[in-house]
Amino acid sequence: MSNLIIKAEKLYKIYNLQRQKTFKEFLPALFSGSKTRKKVNALSDINFDLFKGQSLGIMGKNGSGKSTLLKLIAGVTIPTMGDIKVFARVAPLIELGAGFHPELTGKENIFLNGSILGIKKRDMDKLYDSIIDFSELHNFIDEPIKFYSSGMYMRLAFSVAVAKTPDILLVDEILAVGDAKFQEKCLNRIKKFQKSGTTMIMVSHNIEQIREHCNQGLVLQNGKQKFFGSISEAIEKYQKIIT
Amino acid sequence: MSNVIKLFSNIKLFFSYHELLFNFARREISQRYKQSILGYAWVILNPLFQLLVMTFVFSTIFKVSSFSVPYIIFLMVGLLPWNFFGQSLSSASNSLVSNSPLITKIYFPREILIYGTILAKIIDFLYSCLVLIPFFIYFHVSLNWQVLWVIPIFIIQLIFTAALSLIIASFNLFYRDIQYLLNLVISLWFYLTPILYPIEQFPEKYRFIFAFNPISVFINAYRQVVLGGREPNYLSLFIATIISILFFLISLLIFKKQEGEFADYV
Repeated sequence: MSNLIIKAEKLYKIYNLQRQKTFKEFLPALFSGSKTRKKVNALSDINFDLFKGQSLGIMGKNGSGKSTLLKLIAGVTIPTMGDIKVFARVAPLIELGAGFHPELTGKENIFLNGSILGIKKRDMDKLYDSIIDFSELHNFIDEPIKFYSSGMYMRLAFSVAVAKTPDILLVDEILAVGDAKFQEKCLNRIKKFQKSGTTMIMVSHNIEQIREHCNQGLVLQNGKQKFFGSISEAIEKYQKIIT
Repeated sequence: MSNVIKLFSNIKLFFSYHELLFNFARREISQRYKQSILGYAWVILNPLFQLLVMTFVFSTIFKVSSFSVPYIIFLMVGLLPWNFFGQSLSSASNSLVSNSPLITKIYFPREILIYGTILAKIIDFLYSCLVLIPFFIYFHVSLNWQVLWVIPIFIIQLIFTAALSLIIASFNLFYRDIQYLLNLVISLWFYLTPILYPIEQFPEKYRFIFAFNPISVFINAYRQVVLGGREPNYLSLFIATIISILFFLISLLIFKKQEGEFADYV
């Protein structure tokens, strides 16, 4: 199938939590033979296929492995066992403004963040005006962003992240950006992406938002996959878990 | 064989991110002296004062001999490349940890962070070399064409620095002890490298340790080509090249192997 965009096969992620943080604690533990690691199964046996244009809503309680799954898709961390294949460019809206530096100006940060996201300078030059228009920060763009309010900061971060139409968009509960008007603008931008064929993966506790934006659902409980399939069934299953 | 293929695909990936490399370097340089009046001039003022103090202590008080050249000239040819080395290591050791928000959120080849800091230090080094010019003019130091050897020597030193930085940065991510240990090692290493003194003043029976110290090979080579106007010692330079390149490839493989776990531990 050529439209396959993400394939997860028997995906496991096990975190080794180090009990000793320093050499000083670690060395005696090594010699006395006590356990130095604690294993945590963040994800076990996750299987799903996602095709181009589909959008997936990931649901589950806190600590059920949703963010870990997003990190695996984004390629930030690697699976302990199993395999995840991602066949396209991922735009993470996971934590906005991760690459921003407070001492640099808005403009400098736009270009820095663009290159972190793997967008070429040539493309950034073309996108630059539309980024500023979207963020509505014309008057502040040459100021260091440490003087920005948190709302302005988020607006700039979101504008950079959605500047270029991505193949896969990862959204992790961040639609609380700015005021109601800006939020609506963000949601409209996401809808526009979906129309142009972007695959969206969304993590949210807000069932209404997921129902509106997604057509596939994945329900996680304690790192295990409870359900994968159509969104209406997934929401049913999820509501059973939380009640 | 699979390692060779992995290395090549990594190098290809690295080139597709070269813009990020320059942006990281630019970020490091432009943020460092924000809100300071003298700004980037500190890059020149720092080594200048360092040189003056050290010259006073070691030439006037301790009377270290530096043969035919004035001590300050002798010192700066060794000290400036050393500063590049030491500062690269200490800022690279922290480069992964201080960028943890990036590492846990977005994928890009992590070694770019380390190359970016080193690149910023190269720029610093080139500016700090401006200090040389007035002193060279004042003391009438004559240079000949051998001075061009400085470029290949610097490139070899750079490869060695990058190799060590990769290893230190990735281990520091797992155990923060490394950065404190590093400070200790760097200051010890400084005194065991013939920077403040000529190699001939070191007790002969202990002189073999310089053979295990690649930096001393580089420092000696700089002095030979800049102050002596002679050819460098080809054999030791050749050995240093081979060791540096091998060390770099091994470091890169180790770094790449651990890279997938960085986000889980940082």
